[in-house]
Amino acid sequence: MTRSLRTRLLVGIIGGMTLLLIIFSIIIHTVISRALLRQFDTSLVSTAQMLAASVEQDDGKIEMEFEDQQMPEFQSNKHAIYYQLWSLDGIIIAKSPSLDTDVLPLFGGSLGEPVIQPLELKNGQPGRAVGLKFRPRIADSDDKDYRQRKKGQALTLVVAKDAGDLQYQLRFLSSLLLIASVATITLSFLVAALVVRQGLRPLNSIAVEIAAIREDNLTARIGAEHVPTEIAPIKNRLNELLSRLEASFDRERRFSADVAHELRTPLAGIRSTIEVTLARVRDANQYKTALSDCLAIVEVMQTMVNNLLMIARFDACQATSRQEEIRLAEMVNFCWRSFSERALQRSILFENRVPAGITCESDSDNLSIVLSNLLHNAVEYADKAGRIWTTAQKVPASASLDVSRGSRDDSVEITVANTGCKLTRKEVSQVFDCFWRGDSSREDAGVHCGLGLALVQRIIRTLGGSVIAELQAGGVFLVRITLPVRRE
Amino acid sequence: MRLLIIEDYRPLQASLTKGLREAGFAVDTTRDGQEGLWYAMSNEYDVIILDLMLPGVDGLTILTKLRAKGRKAHILILTAKDTLQDRIKGLNLGADDYLVKPFAFEELLARVRALLRRSYREKNPQINVQDLRIDLTTQRVWRGREEIQLTPREYVLLEYLALRVGQTVTRTDIWEHIYEFNSCAASNVVDVYIGYLRGKVERQGKPPLIHTIRGRGYALGAQS
Repeated sequence: MTRSLRTRLLVGIIGGMTLLLIIFSIIIHTVISRALLRQFDTSLVSTAQMLAASVEQDDGKIEMEFEDQQMPEFQSNKHAIYYQLWSLDGIIIAKSPSLDTDVLPLFGGSLGEPVIQPLELKNGQPGRAVGLKFRPRIADSDDKDYRQRKKGQALTLVVAKDAGDLQYQLRFLSSLLLIASVATITLSFLVAALVVRQGLRPLNSIAVEIAAIREDNLTARIGAEHVPTEIAPIKNRLNELLSRLEASFDRERRFSADVAHELRTPLAGIRSTIEVTLARVRDANQYKTALSDCLAIVEVMQTMVNNLLMIARFDACQATSRQEEIRLAEMVNFCWRSFSERALQRSILFENRVPAGITCESDSDNLSIVLSNLLHNAVEYADKAGRIWTTAQKVPASASLDVSRGSRDDSVEITVANTGCKLTRKEVSQVFDCFWRGDSSREDAGVHCGLGLALVQRIIRTLGGSVIAELQAGGVFLVRITLPVRRE
Repeated sequence: MRLLIIEDYRPLQASLTKGLREAGFAVDTTRDGQEGLWYAMSNEYDVIILDLMLPGVDGLTILTKLRAKGRKAHILILTAKDTLQDRIKGLNLGADDYLVKPFAFEELLARVRALLRRSYREKNPQINVQDLRIDLTTQRVWRGREEIQLTPREYVLLEYLALRVGQTVTRTDIWEHIYEFNSCAASNVVDVYIGYLRGKVERQGKPPLIHTIRGRGYALGAQS
C-alpha cells in the first residue's frame, strides 16, 4: 500500500475511471454491434424473402421471375449478394452468377422461418447467410382469386452477403471507443492531479506551519485559514498537543530556572566567604570558621541536589517500591532518633501517639524518607519549647476522606503535627510547591531548600496515597497522610 | 563610608559584612526587608546593597519606597535573578547597579567604590589636595613622596573629607558616614580622630590642609 495520500487518491480515481470506461465501452460496443448485425440480418432476410417471392412453380418447373442480369447485386463484384436455391431433394435449382463455381452451404429452419449463420465467402471475406425454406407460388394462380392461390413443393433458398463493411464498422467503433477511453483517462489524470493537489493544499500549508514550529517557539499555533472540515479536527488536536507541550516545557524551564536560582545563592555564599577569608592573612580559627561555614552550605546544597534527584525520579516514575508490612509506631520512633538532639536543644517535646499494633503495607525506605522529612520540618519550624506529635489510625473504606480513589480496602491515616506555625492558610496551601519556603525571616534562612515537602508529596503519590497540610487552631501545623493499608 | 546590606541568606550576609568592614566601610546589616527599609529610611547611607527576595518586604518594594521618599543613597541590587527583564526592572525602579549572584567579592568592592565616587561626583580614583594624594582603590595616602600610614578609621575619615574637598563637613555628617548604627563610640570621637589625622597628615612649614570651621565642622583643602 502506497503511503502517499496523493498517489493513493490518483490511483483510486484513475483506476475507478478506467474500470468504468472499460465497462461502458464493452456495453456500448455490444449494443451497437448487435444493432448493426440485426440491421444487416433484417436486410438479408428481406432480400431472401424478396427472392423467395419471385420464385414460382409452373407445371412442376421452378422459375425465377427476375433476370440476374438486371440485378447488379447478384453479379460478381465487391459487395455482391449470393444466393442458391435447392429443391427438397437437394438438387440445386438456381444460383447467383456471383457464386460462379462456388456453392453455399445448404441449411434452413422450418418452413417460413429463416435461419441465419455466419460463413466465410469464397474470397475469404467474412459473410452472413440466411437459409429459408418456402413453397413457391404456382404460376397461374396469381391472376385468379388470391385466396385460392396454391403453393408448390418446398424449396430451400440460401442468401449470403459480404459482411466486410459491417466488420469494418465494428472495428472502427472499437478503435473509436479505445481512443476515446485513453483520451478521457489521460485528461482525467491531469484534472485529477490538479484537483488532488488543490484538495491536499491545506495539508501542505499545515505541514509548512508545523515545520516552522521549533522547540524554542512553542507559543506558535497552527492557524491555517479556511481549513476543510475533515482536517479541522487534526489541526485542533495538534494545537491542543502544542498547548500541552508548551505548558510542559514552561514548567521544565521554570523548574530549571528555579534550580539555577536556588543554587546561585549558596554558591554566592561559598564564594564570598572564601574570597573574604583569603583577602588577608588570618589566624587558624578564622580559617576554621570559614571552612565550617562553607561545609554547612555545601551540606545544604547536597541535600538539595539529592532531593531534586529523588523528585525527578519519582516524577518520572523510575523509583522502585517494595511491599512489606510496616509497624508505624516503630518507624516513627526510628525516624525521630535523628532529630531528638535538635529537639532537646530547642526544648521541644515530642509525643509519638501512634498505637503499637497499627501497621500498613508499603515501602519502608520511602515511607521513612517521608516521616523523616516531616519530623525534620517539625523540629525546625516548631516554636521553642513547643510540641510535636504523631498519630495514626485505620480509616474504614466507607469513612475514607479519599472517596475519589474508590478503594474498597481500608486506609491508614498518619499525621505529623507541630505547634508554633506562623504561616497563613494561603501559605499552608503552597507548602508542597518546589522551593517554597515559609517565613524565611526565621533564624536559619537558607538552611532549608524548600524541597522536603515537595518530595514527601511525590513519594506519597507513588505509594498510592494522598497528603494534605492543614493549619489548625492555636498555630498547629498538621500534615495528614492517607495510605492504603494494602496496595493493589 | 557607610553601607547598608539587606540580604537574607545568612552566610552571604555574614561574609559580605565582614569583607566590607575589613575594606574600611561602616556596615549596617539586616536580613529582614521591613527592618532594612527602616534602616534605609532613618540613616544616611552612601551605598545600599539590596537583595530582591527578602522576607517581610521584598527588595523592589524597598527600592520603590526609598526613591518615592527621595532618598539619594546609591543602591546596588544583589540577586540571583539574572534575566534581562529583572535587570531592566531593577534599574528602572531607581537602582544604580545590578550584580548577579554568585559574584566575585572584588567586583562587588569595585562597584561599591565606583558608586561612592559617583556619590561625590569624583570620577578619578585618585584625589589630590595640594601635595596630598589619596588612592581610593588601594586606600594608600601620600604627602609629597612620603607615604602616610593611617589606621582604617583614620583613612575612612580622610577619604570622606577628601571626597567633599573644599566643603564644610559637619560632625554629624562624619558621624553618619563613618560610624555604624550600633557603634558605641563617644560623641567626641570625631574630634579625637581629626586630631590623630592632623598629626599624621600636616607637615611643619607647609600650610594646613584640615581646617576647623568654628561651630560648623571641618574642611579639607587650601584655606581661601
